[in-house]
Amino acid sequence: MTTLQQAAEAHLDEVYGYLAYLTGDRGLAEDLAAETFERATRLWHRFDPERGGARTWLCQLARSVALDHFRSERRRARRELAWARERADAEEPRFAEGLSPALERALGRLSAGEREVVALRVVLDLDGATASRVLGISPSACSTRLSRALDRLEKELSADVAA
Amino acid sequence: MSRLDLLAELRETRPAAPAELRERVREIAAAAPAPRRRRPRLTWRRGAVVLVPAVLALAAAAIVLGRGGGSAPQVEHGAARGLAPFRSAGSGSALQTQVGAADKAAPAAVPPTRGRLQDYDATLALRVRGTSALSAATKRALAIVRSLGGFAASVDVNADGRQGDAALRLRVPVTHVQDALRRLGALGTITGEQTNVQDVQAGVNAIDREIARLQRQLGALRAGPQTATTTRKIAAITAHVERLQRSRANTVRTARLATISLALTTRAPAPPPKPVHHGPLHGAVVALTWLGIGALYALIVGGPVAALLLAVWLAARLLRRRAEQRLLERP
Repeated sequence: MTTLQQAAEAHLDEVYGYLAYLTGDRGLAEDLAAETFERATRLWHRFDPERGGARTWLCQLARSVALDHFRSERRRARRELAWARERADAEEPRFAEGLSPALERALGRLSAGEREVVALRVVLDLDGATASRVLGISPSACSTRLSRALDRLEKELSADVAA
Repeated sequence: MSRLDLLAELRETRPAAPAELRERVREIAAAAPAPRRRRPRLTWRRGAVVLVPAVLALAAAAIVLGRGGGSAPQVEHGAARGLAPFRSAGSGSALQTQVGAADKAAPAAVPPTRGRLQDYDATLALRVRGTSALSAATKRALAIVRSLGGFAASVDVNADGRQGDAALRLRVPVTHVQDALRRLGALGTITGEQTNVQDVQAGVNAIDREIARLQRQLGALRAGPQTATTTRKIAAITAHVERLQRSRANTVRTARLATISLALTTRAPAPPPKPVHHGPLHGAVVALTWLGIGALYALIVGGPVAALLLAVWLAARLLRRRAEQRLLERP
């Protein structure tokens, strides 16, 4: 049987990458990843390998942690949040090392929901069924959401290049 | 940039967790308790693997045992047809015999006891072929009774073309009752017979003793001085003795004649009720039936509540998803 330590070693990069795309803030993604594993420590007894792999379970947990964060964040002052985001934009890549600046900017203009499906299906390369389970939607809805997100990403990228 | 290039860049630049985070998570994960051993989860597939063969085995057992169990009730039914035994009621004072739908050539008449007074009642049910045979049998029955020194207390004949019935109440001297029943039984096919013999000798003997005692009392009163009181007592006792004597005479007269209730009919006897076969799984079937009824009631009562709860749950899930969607719409 897989232990949480084994699962953490195997899937930390994926959880972190998913959170980085979802939040658009790698520093925040680090905190949320750590919080995800703290929560996993408490809930590990509920993990059932027959219902899905550890990666799916950890991504579901990470999503729940991120949504909780977004809810609490919404209560904060928008100005303060915007200032923090501008600073992050200016200082370092928001999503991943090595991404072209144009793609970084285009990703930044996508919504969190759009980035999330791109992260799961493209960056983490999850299959449709697993990604839809993490998102809590049907596989067909997941495909539609991915298609729209990629269309939008292409559009934003083209606009950025043209500018 | 083409879409393929775009996807390739996204995959190639997959974020990797910083070393600090990795170390932090290792520490966190090290504190995780060992996972508990969980019981195997019951899934539809697993349930079906167990349930389907079990249901099939039960059905096969029910069929096999149901067929095998049919023979025992037939034996019981056969035994029920031989309804000949005498049935005694009380301490030998009454005797009863009953014959059901058994076809018999002659009735199993109980002989009256010689030297004792008895109330003898017999019922005989016969089936004859057609209304003309019914009429002939009725006339023949009256002739038999007359020839044996008896008479018909009542005769009731109903015939409407094809079907007919006759009910005769016949009084026959007890000494000839067996002969009468034998000859009456030959008028058709016996479909039922019942005999009831009630001993009344003990009652008559008691009356005789009472009369003797009263007469001794009368003799004593008459031998003594005749006063007005004595005269009243003699008159009262005499009247009582006369009543007892009338009662005794009536009992003796009744006991000398047996009553035969003869029922003649042209109608075919009703088929015997089909025996109910209760196989060894009957109890299980009954239990399952009641469980089914209970489940149906639960469905009727709990259905609307369950539907309401489902609607509330769906609405809550929709609201939660919409809220999540709003949260994720932000860049």
